[in-house]
Amino acid sequence: MSESVLKTEKLTKIFTMGKRKISALSGVNLQVNKGEFIAIMGPSGSGKTTLLNVLGCLDTPTDGMMTLNGIDVTKLSEKKLYSIRRNEIGFIFQTFNLFPYLNARENVELPMECTKKSKSERGKRSRELLEMVGLSGREEHRPHRLSAGEQQRVAIARALANNPAIVLADEPTGNLDTENKHEIVRLLGRLNINQGTTIIMVTHDSQIASHTERILFLSDGKITKEKQGLHLVKKKLMCPYCGSRIQLSDARCPSCKKRL
Amino acid sequence: MKVNHVGALTRAVRNVSRRKMRALLVVIALGFSMAIMISIPAGIIANQEATQSMTENFSNTMSNMQEEINKTATLIECQTSSGRGMSSSTPSDMPFGMPPSGFGQEEVFVNETVVEEIRSIEGVKDVVPFLEKSSNETTSETINGPGGRTFTINRPLYTITGLPLNSSFIDSYSVLPTNITTGRNLREGDSGVVLMSLNLTEYFGVVIGDKVKINGESFTLVGVYDSPNQGRMETRTAYMNLSDAQTVTGQTGNVSRLDVYAENVTSVDGIADIIEAAYSELYVTTYKDRLTNLENMQEMYTQTLTNAESTLDQTQTVATQEIGIAVVATSLIVFFVMLYTVRERTKEIGTFKAIGFSNWNVMSQFMLEGVLMSVMAGIIGIAIGYIAAPIFSSLLLPHINLFGGSSRTRFQPTFGSANPESLTSGAAATLNPQLILLAFGAALLLGAIGSLYPAWRAAKIKPAEAMRYE
Repeated sequence: MSESVLKTEKLTKIFTMGKRKISALSGVNLQVNKGEFIAIMGPSGSGKTTLLNVLGCLDTPTDGMMTLNGIDVTKLSEKKLYSIRRNEIGFIFQTFNLFPYLNARENVELPMECTKKSKSERGKRSRELLEMVGLSGREEHRPHRLSAGEQQRVAIARALANNPAIVLADEPTGNLDTENKHEIVRLLGRLNINQGTTIIMVTHDSQIASHTERILFLSDGKITKEKQGLHLVKKKLMCPYCGSRIQLSDARCPSCKKRL
Repeated sequence: MKVNHVGALTRAVRNVSRRKMRALLVVIALGFSMAIMISIPAGIIANQEATQSMTENFSNTMSNMQEEINKTATLIECQTSSGRGMSSSTPSDMPFGMPPSGFGQEEVFVNETVVEEIRSIEGVKDVVPFLEKSSNETTSETINGPGGRTFTINRPLYTITGLPLNSSFIDSYSVLPTNITTGRNLREGDSGVVLMSLNLTEYFGVVIGDKVKINGESFTLVGVYDSPNQGRMETRTAYMNLSDAQTVTGQTGNVSRLDVYAENVTSVDGIADIIEAAYSELYVTTYKDRLTNLENMQEMYTQTLTNAESTLDQTQTVATQEIGIAVVATSLIVFFVMLYTVRERTKEIGTFKAIGFSNWNVMSQFMLEGVLMSVMAGIIGIAIGYIAAPIFSSLLLPHINLFGGSSRTRFQPTFGSANPESLTSGAAATLNPQLILLAFGAALLLGAIGSLYPAWRAAKIKPAEAMRYE
């Protein structure tokens, strides 16, 4: 049995808009194990983003229980929550949310600023991360000089800066073209396999979702369905379509030529 | 939890410089506000200093005059009406400009036989006769009157003063000018030579040894003395031997003034009475008259000072209000600009929080930006103030009229060497290091105060809501 990183029970979130109460989450039960790569799918307004915000401690649930590495985060003070967000959670956004006045390296270093890491350690770590996402040599470029795909890679490197227990990605491919979409999801897959990073990704693109190992369907604030993705097979370095051997870096299967 | 402040500062600098035009406009607006904030105290300081220096000048003048009166206690001045206002004992210390002789008055002379008659009065030690007469040459001059009005007047170019160059007089009494700048003073036996005031030699364009024409007669310039400014109308004088003066003025055997020295102070009043009774054409003044004069002057000065001080008080009230407005304006500019910045960057704030920045980290980031902008403005303000402090303070502060009612006298009194025009507010306003330091402190403080609420708002933004904000 794998170790549980994140666990929720009857997670509820109700927004009050004037006199109207809108139930965004109505009892989400979820368990995420260490090293899992999960996709959350669902139509607009199904509560995907709300769930991700609550999981990322950006928002507090109205009711229910949530533990992160065994700690009940619903009862934590604001001050403890910063520390959780800084050290345990990495966020990836649809719109990248890079700081335009900072270069790639500085953007990646930013989450480390509030930690005990020295300046040189931060520099070393950010260079390693940028290399890992394939942006060696682009460290000093500001976001406006990077393509959309490159910007999202910087954002991924930033999310990994403090070695978080879990990475939460909100529609990370939503603003990208087909080629870059696959690049990014493959990158997330590689990180999951190589680094053992636990990833939860919200998407409404079923093709992208299929690259994960578990797909959860959210509807009216509840998980209604769960499906297996292709990622588990890929983890064994096998093509999920024809079963032949593949490399992690392969964009297409060498034998059946299908996009991995 | 420790923030890397260098990183935060770098971010603040880059953020402010990201929108260059906006930053420039804001900084200039703030800069002007700060320039006003420091120019006004500069103006106030300048006014205080001017008033103080006026007070010092006057008390110096007063004590000099007092000393002079004490020294010349035995002197009885006897002047024909033409000589009034030109007494030899006071001109150099006379703080109030008086019309020079010959201006609007008929010149009157007495025969020098009176010298011997007065000398024979009991108790008289010495009598020194003078002949003072206006030159034939005249000049047209424009003088500044009260309330900015100007007057054009015709007056004699200079005064010819003749006195017996007798070494016993020259050595015992101060009958000749003392502050010789070039050449030498007159001495016994001099004839055909002249001692001139500096302004007169400048007018003629002559130097020591040059020949100069006085009423058509040629004289050699042997010495130049500097006469202190006696107000708006400078006194120009040519000193010479009495008989030379009598010749060139056509007043052979005549004198216009007698300095009578008593044996002792107690006999002064008696002698003065005798002279006054015997010679109606002579106007007699003793140390008592001179003391009364001094007292009047003192009173007039006190009145002036009271006026100046009350205006200064009024100026300070206005200044306090104006500084208050500038302070509020500066804080408000920072406030609104930062509030706008926070609204504009809501999503960025959300990102900051999502990657683990605390409320305090976010708040200090925005406060730092506000303070940075305000400090930049402070530097600009100091630069503007450095150049424009006099303009700002003269525009914004009421002008001090040190002389109260302007129609009081036709000739505006002048204290010492201070020119009344230079005593308008802020004319001499300059920034001193303390003011510059103060401006810097104010910039820091107002930047912090102005950005406090916007930064607090930024810190309080809920990250989940901020992420939805586009």
